[in-house]
Amino acid sequence: MRRGFLVAGGAGLVALALYPLVGSGYGVRFMLQLFMWIALAQSWNLVSGLTGYVSFGHVAFFGTGAYATAILVAAHGWPWAPAALVGGLAAVALALVIGYPCLRLKGPYFAISMLGLNEVMRVLVSYFEGLTGGGLGLSLPALYASVPIYYAMGLSALAVTAAAHLIITSRFGLRLMTVREDEIAAEAMGIDTACHKLYAFLLSAFVPGVVGGLFARDQGYIEPVAVFPLAFTITMVVMVLFGGKGTVWGPVLGAACLFVLQELVWANFIYLHQLLFGAIIIIVVLFLPRGILGVLQQRYRLPRHV
Amino acid sequence: MSDLLGLREARLAGAGGGTGAILEVSELIKRFGGVTAVSRCSLALEPGRIYGLIGPNGSGKTTLFDCITGLARRDAGAIHFRGRRIDGLPAHRIARLGVGRTFQVIRIFSELTALENLLVVSGGDRAAASERARRFLAFVHLERLESEFAGNLSYGQQKLLELMRVLMLDPTLILLDEPAAGVNRTLLNELMEAIERLRDEGRTILIVEHDMKVVMGLCERVFVLDHGEKIAEGPPGAIRADERVIEAYFGR
Amino acid sequence: MSVVITPEMVAQVVVSGLLAGALYAMVALGLALIYGVMRVINVAHGTLLTVGAYTTFWWFNLLGLNPYLSLLFSMPLAFGLGVGLQRLMVRRVVRAPELSSLLLTFGISIALVNVLQLFFSSNLRSVEFLTGAFVVGRVAFSKSRVVACAFAVAITALAYWFLQRTRFGKAIRATSQNPEVAMVCGVNVERVHLYTFGLASALAAAGGSLVAVMIAIQPEMGQVYTFKSFLVIVLGGAGNYPGALLGGMFLGLVEQLSSLFLTTQLNEAVAYVLLVLVLLLRPTGLLGGRAT
Repeated sequence: MRRGFLVAGGAGLVALALYPLVGSGYGVRFMLQLFMWIALAQSWNLVSGLTGYVSFGHVAFFGTGAYATAILVAAHGWPWAPAALVGGLAAVALALVIGYPCLRLKGPYFAISMLGLNEVMRVLVSYFEGLTGGGLGLSLPALYASVPIYYAMGLSALAVTAAAHLIITSRFGLRLMTVREDEIAAEAMGIDTACHKLYAFLLSAFVPGVVGGLFARDQGYIEPVAVFPLAFTITMVVMVLFGGKGTVWGPVLGAACLFVLQELVWANFIYLHQLLFGAIIIIVVLFLPRGILGVLQQRYRLPRHV
Repeated sequence: MSDLLGLREARLAGAGGGTGAILEVSELIKRFGGVTAVSRCSLALEPGRIYGLIGPNGSGKTTLFDCITGLARRDAGAIHFRGRRIDGLPAHRIARLGVGRTFQVIRIFSELTALENLLVVSGGDRAAASERARRFLAFVHLERLESEFAGNLSYGQQKLLELMRVLMLDPTLILLDEPAAGVNRTLLNELMEAIERLRDEGRTILIVEHDMKVVMGLCERVFVLDHGEKIAEGPPGAIRADERVIEAYFGR
Repeated sequence: MSVVITPEMVAQVVVSGLLAGALYAMVALGLALIYGVMRVINVAHGTLLTVGAYTTFWWFNLLGLNPYLSLLFSMPLAFGLGVGLQRLMVRRVVRAPELSSLLLTFGISIALVNVLQLFFSSNLRSVEFLTGAFVVGRVAFSKSRVVACAFAVAITALAYWFLQRTRFGKAIRATSQNPEVAMVCGVNVERVHLYTFGLASALAAAGGSLVAVMIAIQPEMGQVYTFKSFLVIVLGGAGNYPGALLGGMFLGLVEQLSSLFLTTQLNEAVAYVLLVLVLLLRPTGLLGGRAT
């Protein structure tokens, strides 16, 4: 059984790696965005799904990475790949500055403190016009790089999913979960919850930063409103909740399903798909709190690394 | 008596230096807003004995536990563990130093399996830790439930699990908050036996209890709290007859 | 940057801040009530404010109705909406881990915002009503701000009176202190939950109606008010209204000062930094009190 999955997984990866050779431009872009959402959802899962500390401002890391990368590429001529990595580091720096004080709050209060973060970043970025172009946005030198970015996004999604697997099957991951289960008991059992929460938070910020940088390169132009929208956080949240928070493949499943849904509905009804997302969140929380995969995991006693 | 699960030696050697108290609470005060939950409480525990902490509801027993284990910050006074000042340290540090506790209302990790509940506590090699955890589970006959989510276990099983989890810390001092609550007679006897074996290994145990059978049967010395103050201490027999204690429980 | 600071400017800033504070405090009171009674963090709180704002806009647009009169409409509407939300959805997560209510109200917030977006589009709307300012000496106070403050104080006083003096108000307070005991004493806790949510929503909507005259109305305007309500509660220390009032005024002051010395653009960043500072240095609020 297990070998079957591994073989299928390997074949799938090879197929995805070869896809750009045969796929249409639209197809490549579709998959590229799908990878991006998988990466984002999985990252959000690392902190919010595991520790229960819901990060409502996670798009701030995406946007920070986008701007850091864009500035390096546009103003300093960096190649986009290393610039995107620096974008990831910039996001981690932000996570450290915000996380250190805010993680001291109890879970729900942490969540609300994160609510304002994306707006604050948008405001700050708009303010420092000299650096970021302010409301006018920032343009990158023209470059058609859909295929390399496809691979970069795919690699990011793969990396963060692998990280999720490693974490969730390790004792570190279990300790993160104890924060979600009963933080007081965890402390009483010798687990440094403050440290664990911070690590999870920092880890969860890196890939969104990188992916934000890739997004900036791909779009060729960014502006504050485009890279700090609450809608992105909402999408991350609904993808993970739907697929199953705290699992490895739940976010992947959720991202795949809901991205397809978004692509179908978006074309026609812009606000309707957000409304749908809101409704899905409500339904999942009330009736399907473990998400699709979580239910399967409980029912069929599936191992942790699912 | 051979130690419970083959892991006691090293700690014993350093336990409080033999004659010194292993835990010293000095003039501890803890307030919540306008209420003084613990009022100038002082007590000392000698290593390797079982102590009881009793008192009417609301007398501050659990608060005292919270202060000792670092889950609550004291307002005044000091707490020393094995000669070292621990008040003000974060709870996880205190736990690592060797102070373990259970809770009045069970706090297990529901979405983790029984084995994982124990596993998260210990560091070091995972295989060795799993081994240890399995032995603890076997000790309370829970080994076949190791992959069961802890939330699905029965109340009695969860209570045992919580106790075993504390033991994973290899604690020198164990604080038990109402271990007998909601437990049937057979299980209670098993529990009491286990506690005695822990004492025989050289650990020190402080039990908050309302069940007098447990207190009288197990405890060598009993402290009585009322409205946050220690009003009496002594052997169980003497405490039972103490006027102040009777007054505290039953009124004048 | 050389700005000459005159005493008049300072007076203006200080009073403006205090005026704003009353409004913040009123909205924050709603959030605090919901948390106190049900242990639910209502992320949708700001969205109910938005509902109030759009209601005022709609009546004004349709009939030219005095925005302050529309309070008589927006508050009951929000009350009903709040009761409906509580009855249908929120009550299912009252006893669940706080995470659930957080995510649920988040979902409700998204759904509500997008419903408003469908009806009103995301174009900025405004209610041009009370423009101009009261001039006292050389200081000018925006009329709408003053009136908003007056209404906020009045409504809050009313709410406070209700909580302190009426039987149901006492039931609410009893439930927030100790639900089990309240239940034993014959308080219908379910009903308390229902009407508290309604009351809190009405307070938020009142804020929205008052604010509609002052700022641009758009579907996502509520998010920042949820955040600021939370900030007010943290500043003032949870669990007491005088604290919330002071917290609101402090926030208002800081905002006005920042627009004086920095720029209005940075207001939100300043509020955020304020939150982080308070959390770091004095988590029990500026006045002390119960830690959240």
